[in-house]
Amino acid sequence: MKKKRKGVRYLERGMPFGVSKAEGNTATNHEIREEKAKMKKTMKIAAMVAGLAMVLSGAAFSADVIKVGHLADLTGPTGDVGKPYAEGVQAYKNYINSKGGINGKQIEMQMFDYAYDKNKAVNQYKKYKEDKVVAIEGWGTGDTEALAGFVSTDKIPYISASYSAHLTDAKKTPYNFFAAADYTTALRAGLLYLKEGWKEKRAPKIVFIYPNHPYGIAPIKGGKEYAKELGFEVLGDEDVSLKAIEANSQLLSVKNKGADFAWIGGTTNSTAVILKDAKKLGLKTKFFSNIWGIDESTPKLAGGAEEGALVMAGSVRYGDKVPGMPLLMSVEKTPQVTHFIRGWVSMMVLVEALNRADKKGPITGESVKAALETFKDFDTGGLTPAKITFTPTDHRPYMSVNIMEMQKGKLVIMKTMTLPRKAEWLGL
Amino acid sequence: MHYCGDFRTTYEKDIEILQTPTTRIGVAAFLVFLVVFPFLVKGEYLWVGLQILIAVIGAVGLNILTGYTGQISLGQGAFFGVGAYTTAYMTTKMGLSFWVGVPAAGLVTAAAGMVFGIPSLRLKGLYLAIATLASQFILEWVFLRWEPVTGGSFGIVVPRPSIGGYVFDSDRSFYYLVLAITVVMVLFAVNIVRTRTGRAFMAIRDHYISAEIMGINLFRYRILSFGISSFYAGVAGALLGHSLKYVTSEQFNLGLSVSYLAMIIIGGLGSILGAIYGAIFMILLPKVLTVLTTKLTMLIPGAAGLAIAMEQGVFGLIIILFLIFEPDGLAHRWRMIKVYWKLYPFSY
Repeated sequence: MKKKRKGVRYLERGMPFGVSKAEGNTATNHEIREEKAKMKKTMKIAAMVAGLAMVLSGAAFSADVIKVGHLADLTGPTGDVGKPYAEGVQAYKNYINSKGGINGKQIEMQMFDYAYDKNKAVNQYKKYKEDKVVAIEGWGTGDTEALAGFVSTDKIPYISASYSAHLTDAKKTPYNFFAAADYTTALRAGLLYLKEGWKEKRAPKIVFIYPNHPYGIAPIKGGKEYAKELGFEVLGDEDVSLKAIEANSQLLSVKNKGADFAWIGGTTNSTAVILKDAKKLGLKTKFFSNIWGIDESTPKLAGGAEEGALVMAGSVRYGDKVPGMPLLMSVEKTPQVTHFIRGWVSMMVLVEALNRADKKGPITGESVKAALETFKDFDTGGLTPAKITFTPTDHRPYMSVNIMEMQKGKLVIMKTMTLPRKAEWLGL
Repeated sequence: MHYCGDFRTTYEKDIEILQTPTTRIGVAAFLVFLVVFPFLVKGEYLWVGLQILIAVIGAVGLNILTGYTGQISLGQGAFFGVGAYTTAYMTTKMGLSFWVGVPAAGLVTAAAGMVFGIPSLRLKGLYLAIATLASQFILEWVFLRWEPVTGGSFGIVVPRPSIGGYVFDSDRSFYYLVLAITVVMVLFAVNIVRTRTGRAFMAIRDHYISAEIMGINLFRYRILSFGISSFYAGVAGALLGHSLKYVTSEQFNLGLSVSYLAMIIIGGLGSILGAIYGAIFMILLPKVLTVLTTKLTMLIPGAAGLAIAMEQGVFGLIIILFLIFEPDGLAHRWRMIKVYWKLYPFSY
């Protein structure tokens, strides 16, 4: 509309000159003015018709659009990992749209940077609801928890990058989904991996280091129970905040307790702080972190102290030889961190659900949820540690974790651990 | 403040809240606006309106404590949490209704506030602020760790209230419910500050030794002030929980406490109207800034990241400018505007 109007204005100004030039001095000012008025009128009508046509075509166009929300943190406290994840989500959407979308329907998904401010997330959610989105790609603990109550009553599937285990229990949060092993499953897989590698006769000693924050606490209960079951000796917890700049006293205590292993439930920054201080104090403890603790940026942050530390990853690395990688690499030429790949996969899951829902009938939040729950061994092209399965009661995508180790500044996949899908572990 | 020609000839006239016909018409018009508001907007703006109403309750409560009694509290956010968790526990785990849960939330929070208000007998000013800061940290820790009651890191999913078969599920219906509660709570606050209790609060604020000499029981009134303020916080927190349908510890952090303190300072300490203005200002400002940055992003796409990052800075800057140029708050500015127009063009 705006462009058209500009055009009209331009013509209005341009035309009278042309007229006066062509007719020389024969045309009086009055005539010119009349001509001008006429022109103006015609142009106005033309513009209106064009505008109307655009509105109508727009309406027709919007019928062929699937609206999806996307909440991301690009500039907030989790922006360092939130940005690649969000870019992965958008990259897969753009790829699908360029291939014709969902059976000819384009996906309309505007990213909203909520900067990890939950009030902003809720405000934007209300806008999405007004726009009648059929699903939302979300981000971390903050927005996912703040919206968990809404999405289940408003019936809008919410695919998050918060992998808290309680979101997998469909009885409590029926509209929450994600495409990686939940935090507790990842922790259990790590424990099992360490136990398998334990050769000494005595029980291995383990300590849990995490912040006093929902994200850190979430897997502790389930993790400790499993550790005891495996025969670990569980030592007292240590609290290292997500914003910590040093962790000397906590690690001194870890040293004095003589822990063989330490689990870190932090983000890349706090994990790097822990690893650095551990090296400084000369700890022999083997560290393993959850999915957000160690990534490709860790060597830069920890400056060599990360050597040998493990991370429970939910994807492969950029450039790994799996069937799904060439496509990702053809779309995204520059090497990306694992978070990008997980963002890509989460959109892949949503696109598949939209495809399935569209084949059955009109796409609604409920039909997308139902479609997600028909996932049975959905193949992500090897980008995830296992194939994805959702059922109406169990939203755990899979029970596998890629154990990666930091070796000379690079992440190396050591083993893919797979746990049994035990019913009593659901939501814990 | 009384002006020329403003005579009161009876006591009834003297205790009226709305003294002049203009204020009566103004307030009536505002109430009508509040009632039709949900039909003028929808979606996120209706939600913002709902949040403002809840914030008004919390801010009015804090102003009774800080503005009227002169006790700084940095624990309002945690008291919100006590209210939210109380109603969440009662409605989901004990199976009681919203109509029991919310008043109970107010009472439980009032009790908690009175306990954490005990140091106020010995501590004043900044020292008390630090003592209440402790209550913020202690309560936050309790929210996260007392798992059987608070659901620990998972939180609690709470339902929207219902009466008979009708569920206040839409934001619009819930808005009316909150509006009714807000109006009652604000009226109660307006009246409390005019009673003996309110006068005692102000006497303590202005000079606590004089107040004690006048026969005011300092301890009793200080604790009472904490209790009333926390009652308001509890009700507001409970409504917040029901509006979000979900209660987790992340919602009730120190940031929330500070923003409530900012509300009453910007609005005007020691003024109910000020608390209302402050709540509107603090909830609306981030929203307005978001709208502006989105507009700016559309005009200059390259500036998107910068604009969003600047939002927080601009927010802070506006608050600083406000404190410099409007130290007495929005309520004071409103009074000045009224005075100016009352005598226009013949000011003294």
